[in-house]
Amino acid sequence: MPTLPHYPFTLHTLDNGLRLVVSEDHLAPVVAVNVWYDVGSRHETPGRTGFAHLFEHLMFQGSRNVGRNDHFGLISAAGGTLNGTTWCDRTNYYETVPAHHLETALWLEADRMGGLLDALDQQNLDNQREVVKNEKRQTRDNQPYGRWLELLHEHGFPQGHPYQHSTIGSMADLDAASLEDARAFYATWYAPDNAVLSVVGDVDPAAVLDAAQRYFGGIPAKGSFPEPPPSDAPPVIGTEVRMHVPDRVPLPRTFIGYRCPPFGTPDFDAVEMLSTVLGGGRGSRLYKALVLDRPLLQPPDGNVLSAWPFVGGASLLIADLPAREGVDPAELEAAYHEVAASIAEGVTEAELERARALVTSDWLHHLATVEGRADTFSQFTTLFDDPGLVNDMLPRVLAVTADDVMRVAREVVREDNRVVLVFEPEPALDDEAAA
Amino acid sequence: MSQASAARLVAERPVPTDPRPWSFPSFDRYDVAGSRVVAAHLPGKPLAVVSLVVDAGAIAEPRGKEGVALLLAATLAEGTRDRDAYSLAVAAERLGASWRADVDWESLRCGFEVPVGDVRAATELLAETVRDAALADDAIERVRSERLDDLSIDMSQPGARASMEFAKQLFAEDSRYSRPDGGVVDTVAGLTPDDVRAFHAGRVGPAGATLVVAGDLTDVDVRELGRIVFEGWSGAESSPVSTTATAHPAGSRVVLVDRPGSVQSMLYVGHEAPARRTPDYVAMTTMALALGGMFNSRLNYRLREDKGYTYGAFGGFDCRRDGGVFVARAAVQSEVTAPALTTLVNELTLMREAGLTADELEHARNYRAGIFPINFAGPGAVASGLGDLVVHGHPDDHFDRLRADILAVGLDAVNQAAADRLHTDRLLCVVVGDAASIGDELRATGIGSVEVVNDGG
Repeated sequence: MPTLPHYPFTLHTLDNGLRLVVSEDHLAPVVAVNVWYDVGSRHETPGRTGFAHLFEHLMFQGSRNVGRNDHFGLISAAGGTLNGTTWCDRTNYYETVPAHHLETALWLEADRMGGLLDALDQQNLDNQREVVKNEKRQTRDNQPYGRWLELLHEHGFPQGHPYQHSTIGSMADLDAASLEDARAFYATWYAPDNAVLSVVGDVDPAAVLDAAQRYFGGIPAKGSFPEPPPSDAPPVIGTEVRMHVPDRVPLPRTFIGYRCPPFGTPDFDAVEMLSTVLGGGRGSRLYKALVLDRPLLQPPDGNVLSAWPFVGGASLLIADLPAREGVDPAELEAAYHEVAASIAEGVTEAELERARALVTSDWLHHLATVEGRADTFSQFTTLFDDPGLVNDMLPRVLAVTADDVMRVAREVVREDNRVVLVFEPEPALDDEAAA
Repeated sequence: MSQASAARLVAERPVPTDPRPWSFPSFDRYDVAGSRVVAAHLPGKPLAVVSLVVDAGAIAEPRGKEGVALLLAATLAEGTRDRDAYSLAVAAERLGASWRADVDWESLRCGFEVPVGDVRAATELLAETVRDAALADDAIERVRSERLDDLSIDMSQPGARASMEFAKQLFAEDSRYSRPDGGVVDTVAGLTPDDVRAFHAGRVGPAGATLVVAGDLTDVDVRELGRIVFEGWSGAESSPVSTTATAHPAGSRVVLVDRPGSVQSMLYVGHEAPARRTPDYVAMTTMALALGGMFNSRLNYRLREDKGYTYGAFGGFDCRRDGGVFVARAAVQSEVTAPALTTLVNELTLMREAGLTADELEHARNYRAGIFPINFAGPGAVASGLGDLVVHGHPDDHFDRLRADILAVGLDAVNQAAADRLHTDRLLCVVVGDAASIGDELRATGIGSVEVVNDGG
């Protein structure tokens, strides 16, 4: 096992509740600034799906002292990169800049945290609504297999569960979003006491604290936030959900989603180790059985099996099974289930060692850049109020035992706990090709 | 008054402090056993990259064997004389090392990212994988059929489909560039195990290979790594290859790839471009950055932020060792295909005729020069940069000199490059979309003739 790095950090809470994590790294003259707001698609209410994400777009349209195109303009002119993303449990915004431009990034983040409504107007909303609808078309509707994640969410969580709808939302809800909705969303969720600011890189922590006070200190706390919709979920789905999805695709591809314990629990750590033993890398059981020993599975770009980290009551363990040309997806699926079931019977120490080494490298890779580390500090502080997990999470996963893996395998990898989506080529496509 | 507007905010934009100096990580070149090693010391990094850059890219493929380089790259991990694919994978993964093997036009690159303490063990596996590759019939045949499945998936994706059609329409049939670097179904289907073994024997050897190492080398004997890979290896004497031969059609034209039911149209618009060594490389690529290489570029501003036609519009040059292309692209809502294409073409024309403003140039220069320390932050990026030095034969001070050249490039040079290098009089416009609903509109744009081709290509 390699020696694990220990990343230093300090945590301060400003008077307005903004939590500030600072971590020094002087290897390169760059700094990452990262803000997590504790609002994501799980906080959305029925009829307002896709709102957290649409709102993220509006955060780049200017604010009290920042012109409409200046957010991207000022950061790129500084030689930096930036973006924002929305997911079930959060919305994040981030910049990586040469270290001497640190305060520009802080100023921009503070201005939209405290002064967005001064610039938000109908024109911005209408334009970004069209952009988001095109994002949905480009990344989902016009892509082969593009609906898979949406369908796993819809059927992997109970009726009314906040993870049941997708982050991108529905076209109808996007169309219905009004300027008043946007203003209300901002007033409800965007406040320093609902945010974490992480700064990682070639900085002096005392100077960062001073600058954070200066730029963010004048933004008032909000005090309280609505509880997200209840996210309790039974540990298993209770029955197999099976769907055949005819689509404009060249080859069948099966996705299987299992409900599993939420991110942050020891059992989720065990599920992560399970997914690596079973489906992570070319030396995993699934890769060996379905790719190397029998040509059933088209090797996917990523892992065959992966654990998705959600905190609200339950997570998903997802298998991605593209069938080889000429392979009946039912045959592939049967072979998959046979291998997946074998894990509950036993896990060898050699398998665990391989999985531990891969999990370690992945984690070191993820934390290697200042932006990866800043995002992880924000993540653990937002979700678990514990930035120290940046150093402590990996040892926790590495401590998972063979017994833990077998136990969660029995609890999660079950017939009554899976959503099976079988994408199959639409017959019409074949007819056209023949014509 | 709403709560948010009660915030006290700092109105003035901060003034940056003095920049701290940065230069590309220093690296050394070694001659080991008659071959070359390039190694950059990156202190404090827990992961290291060890990679072999081989003169066995797609342009080295024999005519009719397009795709053999990528097929070889994908087959290397399928076992050696002493180990089968599974044992080889487990040996690497127990080090935390994940195998990567890729092909671009000029090179085949393969190797590992690995915790630095195991860089020697990973190098031994790299040497075994490349030198002693089993290249057995059954493994090659299986990987070839996987590649064919990959290609059929690619054809169903609008972006990959457009890219393939663009290359096919732009370059003459006998140019290697007329097909993607991974080949096409027809050529890959015809590849035999003997083809793969012949390509390995003919192109993969110590003469055409360079070992690249990037990481914390404090406890690493770089020469030893070189000996592990190169000592006693006798293999191919690779010879230089050449390609290009572009078709130079007169006038612009539209090629509409029919993809019935599409809710978006994929636009790929462009033409051929000069090779990497062109003297105006910095001027033309800095111009292209302002045109379509940044979020605030003209194309993204006009098509996304102004019109809302798309999630993103991009454009830029791909300058290869020999020849290249310019492409501007966007996935746009089907209903606005014709106005979006017209808008895109107008932006290219405006750039060619009027060039950049001084402010746009300053923005592009500062972005491009400023981003170096961020882009070269990790061992993977540094190894990739060193590989580019090897492939293009750049001098040791290449990246620092490039950065200085970017900061120095002037408005006249940039605007001359716009006039010289954007050929809006002979654009190839590939559109992948629903021909029944967008064909007539495209004909009415007057951009050029519209040819409809079947989705299957």
